[in-house]
Amino acid sequence: MNSILADGSPGKRSSDGERYPALSDRHGWVSYVFIAAGFLALVPILSTHRVTDFMIFCIFALSFDVLYGFMGRLSFGHILYLGTGAYAAGLFIRYVDKNPVAAILLGVAAAVATGMIIGPIVVRTTGACFALINLAFNQVGFFLVLSPLREFTNGEDGLGIHAAQIGFFNTSSPSVMFWFVFACLLAVFYLLRQLTRSPYGLMVRCINENESRVRFLGYNTFFYKWVTFVIASGVAGLAGTLTTLNYKYVNPNVMDVHSNVGVIFACLIGGAGNLYGALLGGVIYMIISNTLPRYIQSWEMFLGISLLLIVFKFRQGVWGYLGDLWSYYQRKREQGKS
Amino acid sequence: MLKIDAINVSYGHAKVLHDVSLEIRQGEMGFIIGRNGAGKTTLLKSIIGLLTPWSGSILFQGQAVVGLSPERLSLAGIRYVGQEKKVFASLTVRENLEIAAYACQEPVEKAIDRITGFYPKMKKFLDTKAGLLSGGQRQILLVGRALVGTPKLLLIDEPTQGLAAIVIEDINDIMSDLKQQVSALIVEQNLAMVNRLADRVFVLKEGKIVSEIDDKSMMSDTRKLEDYV
Repeated sequence: MNSILADGSPGKRSSDGERYPALSDRHGWVSYVFIAAGFLALVPILSTHRVTDFMIFCIFALSFDVLYGFMGRLSFGHILYLGTGAYAAGLFIRYVDKNPVAAILLGVAAAVATGMIIGPIVVRTTGACFALINLAFNQVGFFLVLSPLREFTNGEDGLGIHAAQIGFFNTSSPSVMFWFVFACLLAVFYLLRQLTRSPYGLMVRCINENESRVRFLGYNTFFYKWVTFVIASGVAGLAGTLTTLNYKYVNPNVMDVHSNVGVIFACLIGGAGNLYGALLGGVIYMIISNTLPRYIQSWEMFLGISLLLIVFKFRQGVWGYLGDLWSYYQRKREQGKS
Repeated sequence: MLKIDAINVSYGHAKVLHDVSLEIRQGEMGFIIGRNGAGKTTLLKSIIGLLTPWSGSILFQGQAVVGLSPERLSLAGIRYVGQEKKVFASLTVRENLEIAAYACQEPVEKAIDRITGFYPKMKKFLDTKAGLLSGGQRQILLVGRALVGTPKLLLIDEPTQGLAAIVIEDINDIMSDLKQQVSALIVEQNLAMVNRLADRVFVLKEGKIVSEIDDKSMMSDTRKLEDYV
């Protein structure tokens, strides 16, 4: 158990933890440039605030991908941890201290703590049971902030949040928030990329494939599932704190069970089990959900149709499809050379 | 090494093993033969902890192992290779061996060198996705993965089932190399393999051990053994 964590030094893995060769270790820095350029290119088209929102959603999608794409556990209640981070940061700023950095740290800590407590119960289960137990905890969290804690949370009216300026970190400035969230997104992507390529990531993928075989090799899979669940919760919590700071407002919608659908869609559209896919899916989902309602009244129907398309035609999502195209192009090129 | 004393195992109300007792000594290769449905796989699953006997005892190196989790049994040195030939398909062969090496805290390169020493042909497909291997290559990978670290007892379920003759020969060679290095209890229908490798043969019929053979001349009488399978 300790050895895999100790040996999990970045870059030590002999092969790519992801499926496609296009952005392997050799081209690692290129991928960051592409991600950065992609989000920067969206700013003139949309708006700074909107793109910040996109990036926060992408952080959330990355956290969900660790749980679903890599470990194979589909949760219908992952937004609980986003909401926990959002409320912890919001309540801290409202009642304790207006320091936004401390609020972010507390929000992430609260989400991690919630994951640590709920984790031992849910990671024992798989499949529909895992999904529904998470949904049940999500519902409990939603009603807690809505009703029993309304004295502090202001119920469905929510809380206005005004964080203080710490040095250059002024959360009221859209451009400052943009660059801060941008840095957070790249940092989260870097850390999760290293994690999923480490021996630890290898083990999580093995759990996804066949957990009992992993146990036959001598691993306490419960521990690894729990750690992965806590990591996913912590990253979702970070997305929650950033949501609160970006909107300067938090209400129970950040914990609404229906909002889980969005992140599931994002991972499926982009391609589960691949961090690039999660990012791409996050952006595509946000573009659809922000643009389509302007033109189509029942825009959710379009999402349903796209899900059907994914299930029947593009099982590996958009990123997977692009990866297949890339492999095809490479094969053709090699054939041409020979 | 392994001592099973009068275990009884059931699937629900259906009793499958009846007072099964057997013993495998240090460095010994034991084979279980018998017809389909005789309870051979059930016996292995009971040892590895997938099924719990409702009476009797299983001792490994003098310690009771009934109720221990598969991971604890694996770390104690019992390795199980099932008959499904399930490798981690999305991982390369090297990664399949790596993941086993981390569990045993054996240096990865040392483990790979040792395993490819048993089967040098494996070097050629170390970087191939395990899901793309043939059935025989998968079986060899599974046996190789079970040998990572310091296994004391191998439990292998039908290692040659459905494999081509040339691969069976390879598996025979690997198992021959392992003789005296590790104890093994193998479920097998291939009597040529039994004849070549077995130190002891247990004949299982309708959930009972009906015969235990440790005489080499009797084992070589394949016609007699054929009656049991």
